[in-house]
Amino acid sequence: MAEDLVLDTAIRDWVLIPLSIVMVLIGVLRYFVSKLMRSTQVPDGKIVKEGQVIVRARNLRAAANFIPPKSFRARRAYFSNEENGLLHVPKGQAQNPQAQMFSDPNMAMDMMKKNLSMIIPQTLTFAWVNFFFSGFVAAKIPFPLTQRFRSMLQNGIDLSTVDVSYVSSRSWYFLNLFGLRGLFSLILGEDNATDDAQRMMQMSGFGFDPTKNLGAEKDGLDIVQHEWALPKFEQRAEAVLRKLVS
Amino acid sequence: MVTKTEESQLNKLENQVDNGGGGAWEYLCLARKLKVRRSDKVLKYGLSILNDSRKRSSLGSDEWTLYEQVAVAAMDCHALDVAKDCINALQKKFPESKRVGRLEAMLLEAKGSWEDAEAAYSSLLEENPFDQVIHKRRVAIAKAQGNISVAIEWLNKYLEIFMADHDAWRELAEIYVSLQMYKQAAFCYEELILSQPTVPLHHLAYADVLYTLGGLENLQTAKKYYSSTIDLSGGKNNRALFGICLCSSAISQLARGRNREDKDSSPDLPSLASAALEKEYKLQASDKLSVLTSTLKCLRVSS
Repeated sequence: MAEDLVLDTAIRDWVLIPLSIVMVLIGVLRYFVSKLMRSTQVPDGKIVKEGQVIVRARNLRAAANFIPPKSFRARRAYFSNEENGLLHVPKGQAQNPQAQMFSDPNMAMDMMKKNLSMIIPQTLTFAWVNFFFSGFVAAKIPFPLTQRFRSMLQNGIDLSTVDVSYVSSRSWYFLNLFGLRGLFSLILGEDNATDDAQRMMQMSGFGFDPTKNLGAEKDGLDIVQHEWALPKFEQRAEAVLRKLVS
Repeated sequence: MVTKTEESQLNKLENQVDNGGGGAWEYLCLARKLKVRRSDKVLKYGLSILNDSRKRSSLGSDEWTLYEQVAVAAMDCHALDVAKDCINALQKKFPESKRVGRLEAMLLEAKGSWEDAEAAYSSLLEENPFDQVIHKRRVAIAKAQGNISVAIEWLNKYLEIFMADHDAWRELAEIYVSLQMYKQAAFCYEELILSQPTVPLHHLAYADVLYTLGGLENLQTAKKYYSSTIDLSGGKNNRALFGICLCSSAISQLARGRNREDKDSSPDLPSLASAALEKEYKLQASDKLSVLTSTLKCLRVSS
């Protein structure tokens, strides 16, 4: 059905704009609350050291061709030695990062606080939107959609013949949720707690797993074939000097 | 290390402020960001901002960072009373702060009361064992007292934890060279080359240490690293050019009679290096050119 529905401009004035303004204000509020509630975290010794070890191993892998073969082999042995090499993680010790996270009370509290500060405002706003702004068409999406989106975008509209492009305010809420991230980074600076989408992505790839990183670095280091690049430099220096002198 | 563009920007700002055109605050911010050590300028311009109460209030909350920066610069210039005033102001504002505690311990160190400073740093470290600045200050105390072995010990312990800190590796290398422990210094320079392979200074220092260690293999390696320095610095590094000439003459002296020719070395390199040196001297120090030519002739004759 290609007929065009005419939407009242009052919808724009009283639904779309107030909803956006409310979401922006709630985001700003959450930012300040999270700043107040943030506790300083003493860095864990093992994690700091492991981070540094990884950086050093990565440097070794990247610039391996710049140092003499003997030194490279010595360093590689230092890192991947079976008994006491830095990158070697004995099988039994490979900790399950999830268990580690929940056993450390500070970290668990921190995660709970972050989760709460994200979930509660979202839930409340969603409920508010559903309660007040349901049952009517709020906007028209400029591009055509398939029928599958009907259940998601047209929750309060119980007419099955309305074009799927006409959506309810729930979809406007979701649009704002993901779209205001850019606006927040403009207003609040780069590091703000309202980065929900980013945080959700972070949570799905579960956090800092040092043991796996170490193992990956060790494998990478074992693979490296050392090819000393320095002999070539003599020829290159010769070329440079020839150009300089001539 | 500061890049060339940043350094030129800093110098431009410094000139501007020196000659009376404003921009002191931008200069101080840039100096703080790049962590350069221009303490006399920082002290002069920082104090002029801090003493003018109008300018000071216009800074807002950055005022306290400026106090910290000026305090450190004052301690570097040994203007200890200025430093004490700044630290007092900071203490009034932030009574229980660890950062201010660190500044107070630095003031004790600047005054020369080593034991008090050491005790202060140890207590600060107990609260936060991962404060890199405090670790390094402890090493500096040991070095200033002349306890080089203690300094080496502290620095090694620091590097066991923070092994990606290339400034610390550089400091350790220089200490080892001053103690003539060249093998250990070579190891440290290798670390530096690994972390920053395109900086010619590290190649040059490594080549110097290898040349000092001596022995045919080290000399050949040193020659290679001198050539990499030349390549990375575009042929402008006179020390590397001299290094090539010295290395080749030393190698040919050692290899006389033995047939261990390095198959990668190019035979024209020493002559090219000496030609480049002569050209440079002609440009910049023409009165020393005769000394240079005679030295180079000696090196070539002995080869």
